[in-house]
Amino acid sequence: MPHERRPDHSRYGWGAGLHHVWLLALKDLRSEFRRPYEVISLLTFSLGAVLIAGLTLGGGRVPPEMVASFIWILLLFLTTLTYTTSFARESDRGTLGGLKSLPCSPLAILGGKVVYGTLLILLVGSVMLFFTGLFLPLDLGGKYAEFLLIYALGAIGLSLAAAFVSGLVMFSEGSTLLLSFLLIPVSVPILLPAVRATTGLLSGTTEVLPALQLLLAAMGLILAVTLLTFTCVLQE
Amino acid sequence: MAENTLDQDQGAVELADVSKRYGNRHVLRHISLHISRGEFLVLLGHNGAGKTTLLRIMSTLVSPTRGMVRLFGRDPVEEGRTTRRRIGLVTHESFLYPELTVLENLQFYGQFYPVAESRYREMLEMFEVGPYAGVRAGSLSFGLRRRVDMARALLHDPDLVLLDEPFAGLDERTAGILGEHLASLKETGITLAMTSHSPKKAGLTCDRAITLEKGSIVQDVRHAA
Repeated sequence: MPHERRPDHSRYGWGAGLHHVWLLALKDLRSEFRRPYEVISLLTFSLGAVLIAGLTLGGGRVPPEMVASFIWILLLFLTTLTYTTSFARESDRGTLGGLKSLPCSPLAILGGKVVYGTLLILLVGSVMLFFTGLFLPLDLGGKYAEFLLIYALGAIGLSLAAAFVSGLVMFSEGSTLLLSFLLIPVSVPILLPAVRATTGLLSGTTEVLPALQLLLAAMGLILAVTLLTFTCVLQE
Repeated sequence: MAENTLDQDQGAVELADVSKRYGNRHVLRHISLHISRGEFLVLLGHNGAGKTTLLRIMSTLVSPTRGMVRLFGRDPVEEGRTTRRRIGLVTHESFLYPELTVLENLQFYGQFYPVAESRYREMLEMFEVGPYAGVRAGSLSFGLRRRVDMARALLHDPDLVLLDEPFAGLDERTAGILGEHLASLKETGITLAMTSHSPKKAGLTCDRAITLEKGSIVQDVRHAA
């Protein structure tokens, strides 16, 4: 069935790989916003948590460590909720076969999930941060750029860890439960420096750079493990 | 043909001593099989005979536990992306995303291949699903979804089309449409491999029928042209 073909400029290489990642992420984002109840439930959960924390702690002086921990624990929960339906849904629906049959790298499939998850977490997290600022003392002392950097890096790191674990457990019975448990130890190396760096910014006393370096190192480690092993994760 | 590469003289599929085991369960045992280019092969057998696993190995979705697989002379493990570009696959599970429309689904899959924009409409019309282009795939009937899946699998003009139980659950009309398309696909010289547990439906105009039993080939019948 011959037909007119679009020129195929970049079949492989980084350019094509990044294009594939974006196509896969876009598909997930489009699907996600076509069933907005999941995004709404993420938002409701975040706002509920902020409100409860605000009403409980908002009256007195809240230590910066507590605010920082609250933000990152909430982001961890958001990540867990986002990724419980990531690879597991593809596997349950049978669309994983469709992805695996595509002429793209397994890493592009993972990359698509990471980009989709990161964007969703950043979006919901931004709403959560706005309300955290209203109900809890979130005084950054003008260091917004630094905070955004830590926030973005932490979200990417959590997303990467969650996408990897989500891929690991997708063929298991009770993959949702497994993800929730396994993500905790895997995300600790991301969470600890992220909390320390955020605390440093909020208190204005601690050095942020060492924590940021630790965060980057943890992300590098998770990325290396993922790159080396994910191809095997997708194999049946 | 989609790609005319150096492997012109190679067969479409070459399996040598392929076995597949899931834990202690042997699904395929020592399968050796050569499928020539342009051949229309039907894999027959009861449920659990190993037809789907064999098809999934041919489609590169599943790796064999042992043995050698070559698609158009290439190793699908070493050159996975190159070989997958030449395969069109329809399984009993739909690869369509229910939240996306029919057209969006085709566009999503099509963007990974050098497919012209006009090809999407062309395929939708070919499988008589044009009026459903803007409908979400999740709200389609099973038969319509199967037709869209066929359109998706053939979008990129593959050299090898693999179909897992394509007639299962279809009404007579849809099965008829599908049968016509398979017959016309065969005319184009494409290589077709299809599983079925119903030899009658599979009868169509196949060149060769292989029967599997407990993971082994027990019969290999070639039909005269």
